[in-house]
Formats: sequence, structure tokens, C-alpha cells
Amino acid sequence: MNGGSHSLIEVRDLTIGYGDHLVLERITFEVRRGEVFAILGASGSGKSTLLKHLIGLYQPMQGDVLISGASLVHAEGEARLRILRKFGVLYQGGALFGSLTTVENVRLPLDEFTDLSEVAKNLIALSKLRLVGLESAATKVPADLSGGMQKRAAIARAIVMDPCLLFLDEPSAGLDPITSAGLDALIRELARGLGITFVMVTHELASIYSVADRVVMLDPKIRGIVAEGAPSWLREHAPQPWVRQFLNREVA
Amino acid sequence: MAVEPPVDLSVRWNLSVRPDGAATLAFAGELDAVSTPVAWPNLEREFARTKVVSLEIDARQLAFCDSAGLALLYYISVGGMTPGATVTLIGLSPEFQHLFRSFSAEDFRALQKHPPTCSFFVEDVGAATWSWLSDLRQQVEFIGEVTLGVIRGLARPRLLRWKEILRVFEIAGVNALPIVSLLTFLVGMVIAFESAQPLAQLGAQVFVANLLGLTMTRELGPVMAAIMLAGRSGSAFAAELGTMKVNEEINALQTMGLSPVQFLVVQRVVAGILLTPVLTIYAMYAGLLGGIPVLLGLGFPLRMVLTQIQSSLHFGDLAEGLSKSVVFGGIVALVSCLRGLQTGEGPRAVGESTTRSVVSSILLIILADAIFAAVTYSLRK
Repeated sequence: MNGGSHSLIEVRDLTIGYGDHLVLERITFEVRRGEVFAILGASGSGKSTLLKHLIGLYQPMQGDVLISGASLVHAEGEARLRILRKFGVLYQGGALFGSLTTVENVRLPLDEFTDLSEVAKNLIALSKLRLVGLESAATKVPADLSGGMQKRAAIARAIVMDPCLLFLDEPSAGLDPITSAGLDALIRELARGLGITFVMVTHELASIYSVADRVVMLDPKIRGIVAEGAPSWLREHAPQPWVRQFLNREVA
Repeated sequence: MAVEPPVDLSVRWNLSVRPDGAATLAFAGELDAVSTPVAWPNLEREFARTKVVSLEIDARQLAFCDSAGLALLYYISVGGMTPGATVTLIGLSPEFQHLFRSFSAEDFRALQKHPPTCSFFVEDVGAATWSWLSDLRQQVEFIGEVTLGVIRGLARPRLLRWKEILRVFEIAGVNALPIVSLLTFLVGMVIAFESAQPLAQLGAQVFVANLLGLTMTRELGPVMAAIMLAGRSGSAFAAELGTMKVNEEINALQTMGLSPVQFLVVQRVVAGILLTPVLTIYAMYAGLLGGIPVLLGLGFPLRMVLTQIQSSLHFGDLAEGLSKSVVFGGIVALVSCLRGLQTGEGPRAVGESTTRSVVSSILLIILADAIFAAVTYSLRK
């Protein structure tokens, strides 16, 4: 649904941390429209912290995050809301509301942000559930869904407002390999079919090789990006040995 | 006959109906979440005014269409606005086809058919009774388990984890002193003010001091201290144990071979039982201190007030107040810990168990107080 080939996200000279503790210093990278982009790194390298800055939950110490050319760091009020509506977020646990059914969870953003009729909202919510293969679980509550189903329902909720960008925080965490592969297939399908750009933080190498077009690797020692490129290329040709070890899952 | 849409919309449509009932609906522009809510009812009204036998939806001129727009196209294409008519959709851009295919009338009908969740009254009464009986059984089992834990602890004091008891003492006792002081001081003041006038009418205003002494010692001291303990510390016990349950820390204790009751509950119950009498004595004094300034303001000398209070109180009154406080302390600690351990799953569970702990504690405190009142009345006769 989105044309053009220029960058959708531009991270410029971003410095992030907590209090006096620096996590990442002056990092710069871009995410192109329509690609599946992964943020990789060892535990404690700042992947999740970076993601929280990309979605505007935290303010950086320095630098900027531009989404479709608009600064998320400096935007306020209505302008910030306009940027926030461009993307959806899948949190690690799904973050579905336990008191609502699956279809009510999915249609919640439609209830809050549109004037559509009940019929229209239900049709749209059900179509998103069908896209993620959960049409038969529409009336179930999250407690009755498995971990993988909860993640798929959360994706359905994240795409209900037709965002051009989806952020995924550890999408495969806690899932068995088959469910995880199913989720990867769904990400590929949504990226190709709907042209959604994905930015994911993950540890799962299998997922990265399966879906990611490009990755950045974070290194806690240099508090920055140590490598950037296609995952299969980096696995063979990355100049840093530990990047190759990481991507080949070898013991250092 | 041709019908035109409102002029200031990002989408334009043209509905033309021939006399034989064959109609064409042509869209142009952008059909999105802003224009669709306006277009939808307008089109419904237009179709309601005409008799359509067959309809062709022409989407060739649609430049943009999001899920809301596609929902409208789908709804019309399945005959939602023209029941019984043959409907065809032409010219929908390939980039929208993928999303369009995800709409399903079958899913929609299944959702409409889903029965609302309601149950019969008799079923509800049965379920509530069963739940009450199970809860009662759990309470009895729990009291037994805690009693056993306390006995074990007395036999082997190391098991009692005195450090934890002292921590609870500090959190639930020392830290509660300011609020207990303020509330009971004000309650004492209110009792003195409220009783001064009616007793003055009987010429017995001096007995306000007696009334204050008796109510604070026998009744309000222990009750206020216990209610404060339930609201402030009991809820914290329930929330703490509930969070531990949600985070599977209770399961971890069990798999390590440790009893959650022995490890977590016994200390809180012992602390609650030992702490509440101390808090009660403090509340009694604070209440008396609250009433004394009122009596001084009414013109009674301090010496007289103190003598009146002293003469009205006997050891039995203090013993009654303190024995109540021991029972109340046990109730608050037991109920709060039980509600904490009964916490279910999900984000709302901790909140629910905290509320249940406060409600059950206060209910049982008042119930126990009523029993105490009846028993002590018959003993005094």
C-alpha cells in the first residue's frame, strides 16, 4: 500500500541511556520502505532500549528519529499523534487486554480513532483476524489463546489501522519452532502482500535468515553499530570475527 | 436516475439506476477511514430509495482505499445494501486485492450468531454457593496450615525468620503510626463533640470523658487500628503475595520443597498478631488525646477529665480491647495472605485479590466485633 523507495525511518546521531549510563552513542542508520529490518546484538547491547526510542516511549539524550521525514523526538500534540498512527507495535507478551475478546481487542483502535459503523468495524477487525489466521478465535478471550495465537492477535490489532510500519519486540520469544516459523511466514506475507515495513528486535537467528532483508548488529563494547547488511552476507563476510561467530552461532 | 454525493469529501461516487433496476455505482478519489463513515450511511439511504435488481461497482477511479474503504466495497459487493440483487465489483486495483480477499461474510455471520454470555439465575446462585463453600473450605484448611506453621516455628524458632517479622513490624506498624495517630485523634475529637450536646441536655456533660474512655478502649481503638491495618498493610500483603504468584515465585518455592505458608505467611500472621495490640494501645491514646482538648474547651479542668477517664475504665475494658485486637490482627494477616495466594492469572488478578482482601478483612473484623460485643455483654450481666 505504500510506494516509493526512500527511507521510512532515519536514525540520526542517536545517543541513548539511563541517567548517567550510556547505552548507545551517536548511532545512525536507515530503514527503507517495504523491507524487514532486524536489530541484533548480545544481551545487554541495548536492542530493546533502542526500540523503545524508535517508537517514542523514551526521549534520547541526543539525536533524532525521523519517521517518513517527521521528527518523533521533537513532535508534540497532534503532530506526534499523526506520526504515532503511522506505526503499530507488537510487544513481547502481545499486550492484549484480558477483559476483551480477540475481536474486541482488534477493533479497539477503530473504536477510539474512527467514526465507522459497528458493521464496518467488525468487518475490518474480522478481516485482520483472517489475515493472521485467527478468524475462528474471534470471540475467545486472550486467556483461552496459546502464546502464538496471542502474538498473531496482537499483530492483527497492530495492523488494524493500516500502518505502513510495524515494530516487533522479540516476536518469536517463548514460541515453539513450528509456531515461530508460522509467525515468520505471516511477517513475510504481510510485508509482501500489504507492503508493510517491519522493524524487529530478535535473538532468533532462524527468524532473521527467514525474514530479514537487512540487520544492524549492536555491540555493547563500542556502544554502537558494529555491522550492517544482509544477514546471509554478514554471516560469511562480516569483517569482525565475533559478528560471524554470532551469526553462525559459534562459541567464541 | 443519478445520485450525487456530498461535495467536500475526498471520495466521489455516482449511483445511476436504470428503469429496469440495473444500477452502476462508480467511485473516484480516496475511500479511507475519514471519508468512509460519511459515504456509508449516505449510500445506504440512496439504495433504500431505489429498487436495484443488479449492481455493478466500478472501482477503476479509486486512487486510494484503506481497510475502511474496502469494508464498504465488500459490504456493498455481498449485497449488504441491495438485498437480493446481483452485485459485481470491477476495476479494484491489484494492490488492494490482497486485503479485499481477507473480508469474509461467513466470519461476520459467525460473529453475529455468537450467543451473548448470559446465565440463568439458578445457575448463578448455585455457582456462587459452591464458590462460597469452596472458599470456606480453603479458609479452614489455610487456618490449619498456618497454625501448624506457627507451632513448628515455636518449636524451631529459626523457621520463623525473625528478620522478616521485624521488617513487617516496621512496614505495617512503625510506618503506619502517623496515619493511625491522625485518624484516631480526629475520631476522638468527633466523639467528644458529638456526645457533648446530648449529654449537656441531661446535665451530664462531664460524662463525655467516661464515654470517650470507654469507646476508645473497648471499641474504636481496636477497630480503627484493625481497619487501618487491613487497608494499609493487608492490601500490601495480598498484592505482594499475588504478584509473587503471578511471577511464579510461589511455584518456585514449592518446587524447591519449601512451603509458601511456612516461608511467607507465618511471619506475616505472627507479626500481625503481635503488632496489632501495640497499634491499638497507640490508637487508644491518640483517640483520648483528640477528645481531651474538646473537653478542656468545654470548661472542664484537665485533672477532672483525667480522673473521669480513669474512674470509668477498668482492667477488663483494656483486656477486652486488647483481646479484640489480637483476633483482628490475626484476621487481617490471615485473610490478606490467603487472598494473595488465591490470586489467579492475568493482569487484573492482583488488583482483584487486593480488593477481596480488604473487603473480607473489614467484613470479618466487624463480624468478630459483633460477636465480642454479644459475649462481653452477657459476661458483664
